[in-house]
Amino acid sequence: MKILEAKNITKTFPGVVALDNVDISISKGEIHCIIGENGAGKSTLIKCLTGVYELDSGSIFIDGKDAGKDRSLFDKIAYVPQEIDLFSHMTVAENLFLPYDKTGMKGLINKKDLEKRAVPLLKGFKIDVEPDTLIKDVPVSAQQLIQIVRATVHQDYEILMLDEPTTSLTTEDTALLFDIIKDIKKTNKAIVFISHKLEEIFALGDVITVFRNGKKVAHTSLSEVNIPWVITQMTGRELNQNEVFYSEKVSDDVLLEVEHLTGERFTDVSFKLRRGEILGFSGLVGAGRSELMQAIFGYLPAYAGAVKLNGQPFKLGDTNYSVSKGLVYLPEERKKQGVLPMLSVRENISISSLAKLQKSFVISKKQEAKLAEEVINQYNVKTPDSEKHIQYLSGGNQQKVIIGRSMVCDPKVLIFDEPTKGIDVGTKVEIYRLMKSLAEEKGIGIILISSEMEEIIKCSNRIIALYHGRVYGEFSYQEERERIMSAIIGVKPDCEGSCVNE
Amino acid sequence: MNSIKGKGLSVLKRSNMTAISLVLAAMVVIAGIISPYFLDIYNLQSLIRDLAFVGMIGISQSLLLLVGELDLSVGKISSLCGILAGIMMVDMNVNPFLSLVIALMLGIVFGAINGLLITKLRLNAMVATIGMQSVYGGINLVLTKGKAITGIPESIYSLGKGNLGPIPIPFLFTLGVLILVIFLAKKTKTGRYIYAIGNNREAASILGIKVDRIRVIIYAIVGMISALAGILYVARLGSSQSSIGESWPMMSIASAVIGGVALTGGIGNPAGALIGAAIISVISNVIVLLGVSVYWQSAVSGIVIVLAISFSSLSAILAEKKQKRIKAAAN
Repeated sequence: MKILEAKNITKTFPGVVALDNVDISISKGEIHCIIGENGAGKSTLIKCLTGVYELDSGSIFIDGKDAGKDRSLFDKIAYVPQEIDLFSHMTVAENLFLPYDKTGMKGLINKKDLEKRAVPLLKGFKIDVEPDTLIKDVPVSAQQLIQIVRATVHQDYEILMLDEPTTSLTTEDTALLFDIIKDIKKTNKAIVFISHKLEEIFALGDVITVFRNGKKVAHTSLSEVNIPWVITQMTGRELNQNEVFYSEKVSDDVLLEVEHLTGERFTDVSFKLRRGEILGFSGLVGAGRSELMQAIFGYLPAYAGAVKLNGQPFKLGDTNYSVSKGLVYLPEERKKQGVLPMLSVRENISISSLAKLQKSFVISKKQEAKLAEEVINQYNVKTPDSEKHIQYLSGGNQQKVIIGRSMVCDPKVLIFDEPTKGIDVGTKVEIYRLMKSLAEEKGIGIILISSEMEEIIKCSNRIIALYHGRVYGEFSYQEERERIMSAIIGVKPDCEGSCVNE
Repeated sequence: MNSIKGKGLSVLKRSNMTAISLVLAAMVVIAGIISPYFLDIYNLQSLIRDLAFVGMIGISQSLLLLVGELDLSVGKISSLCGILAGIMMVDMNVNPFLSLVIALMLGIVFGAINGLLITKLRLNAMVATIGMQSVYGGINLVLTKGKAITGIPESIYSLGKGNLGPIPIPFLFTLGVLILVIFLAKKTKTGRYIYAIGNNREAASILGIKVDRIRVIIYAIVGMISALAGILYVARLGSSQSSIGESWPMMSIASAVIGGVALTGGIGNPAGALIGAAIISVISNVIVLLGVSVYWQSAVSGIVIVLAISFSSLSAILAEKKQKRIKAAAN
């Protein structure tokens, strides 16, 4: 039975048709997967279906009634956004029941009462935290689950929309989440599931709708298709699934040497990076990979140990020094640590090489514009023009700008922290190829942090697994997935699974 | 329809400065119509002389707003530097112009102290500068025991009271400050870094920008401009007083905000602060000319200032409503 039906919906933004005459219908008791490249219109669709955006044209029917006329119908949709938007200085219980008037709380709020009500909900989702813990003290994966619980607290929801719910979840948590989603499906609710991870979609979904460039290009039952078919639909072209991206020109020179480095959330880490090598860092979310790299880069403190670049001692704790020596860090949190949202693409590109663009203290407009054009063309950034504010570009294109501007300052070591997080399949491959060519052609040493097994195996010459901030194993790319996997979860590779840590 | 909407939005965005200039022009015209005295040359001169002081501080303050911070000690730095210059000139017989230069340097030091406290101890700018304005104000009282320092050499009077042609000299200093600050903000590397820090401080740091050093530099600049305003005011009054600049912290921030500089950082043009200061001055002037009761003046000018600040967000709200109406009609 159809619970939601959208007919001919169109939504435009200045310069872009984000959704072009789209029809979609969602039935009860069905897991409906939505997939598409970045900028394909998925987010716009969700915002239209949840009533955040007003439609340019078309209409949405929920339970057979026109939601354009009765906006209260949108309350039947429980939506879990991609980014975590909990109140970090409030308790788990408080977060679950806000806003109080929608969760049936009237008058004064009794904290004890709230916490009592929270316990069974947390249990149902197997979240192992006390209801009076502050959100900021809860692991990210639990936060993600709490967001989902919060959305379902509203008893009268009919549709649960999950936007990339697994980006911060471990494999274990993902499996748990899938069980929960299947349970919810049994209660005859409709579920909309958005993800870039194709394996997940096939593991969970019933039907799939594919978007490309604001248009719906395919809709079918998942049992009738396979992964290559979905990729072809998404990208409009065939991708070679077996292409690998590790560097084929690794030199013997050691470029970066890290010795017994200890800091917040990592302990006694030593490794060497060679010129032209792609070194993968694998591990669970929270294994300390980002903290380690940010300490080497000088953004976070290191308590003990030393780093050498080209055999010379390397000063820690000064990002300006690191960048000037050619060690550049490309952050995982693009929005929080990467882009300058309200500056133009041009200004975002030139920011790391202004010293070269200035003539007697004045930035040369001409040279700046030229540089921006070069980067936009060379890295294939899709933007109407270089004056567009970067916040309006898709995640993949923002990432290309960040890579492009890092290359302008002639780096020797590039640290890519989850470079393809939230980026679609087509653009991912572009970024892999880029990393490979940077390593091979310019002899740059690349450190790749990634939580995606596929990615790290395809791209790395060597892989180091971190577990709880310690090195748990080193592998060359050919080694088996299972051995790397077991190191990630804390099994030393040399002890055949018998000596599980902690 | 798509293209029209795109154009409309971009014009709105780009014309931020034009819009605020038009508001000022309209106010001048209206003021000229409702009060025959407004366009009188003496009235205009004294109005412009008045706004020169808040104007120059507002321009420098907008650099701080651009990195998402502010300095509430500006007025007290002004009076302290004025008093120190007065002591040097009157009690210590230092050459007047040399004492002015030394006072300017001291302004840089006081500003840098603010900046170092805020960056090194990681203090909140607002709280720290509220504290520091008490410190500077306290030193004022210790130095003067609450009395004005009179007997300022007449050779410097022209800096505050004089005109060059029809233009009051303090306003020429304001224009000089404006040109230098705009050059810094719009043409140089440091200026671009200021916008970058205001946009995203973490990203700026990861890009290798020396965020804290730039913040200290801006506080030092603000300190220097405050000192300049203070000294010029001493020259205007012919005496150094601890009461100089009491309204300048709030007025300088209000001017910048009216001029389109965002309190959250990253957006705006320091030139807006001067236009903002002019708008406030015209309003206060007209209220006086219209003979509004002294007791009402502050409330009335406050209301008009709040309206002026609401102007930009109001126009955005109206534009949104208009678009919705067009859309509804199209459906």
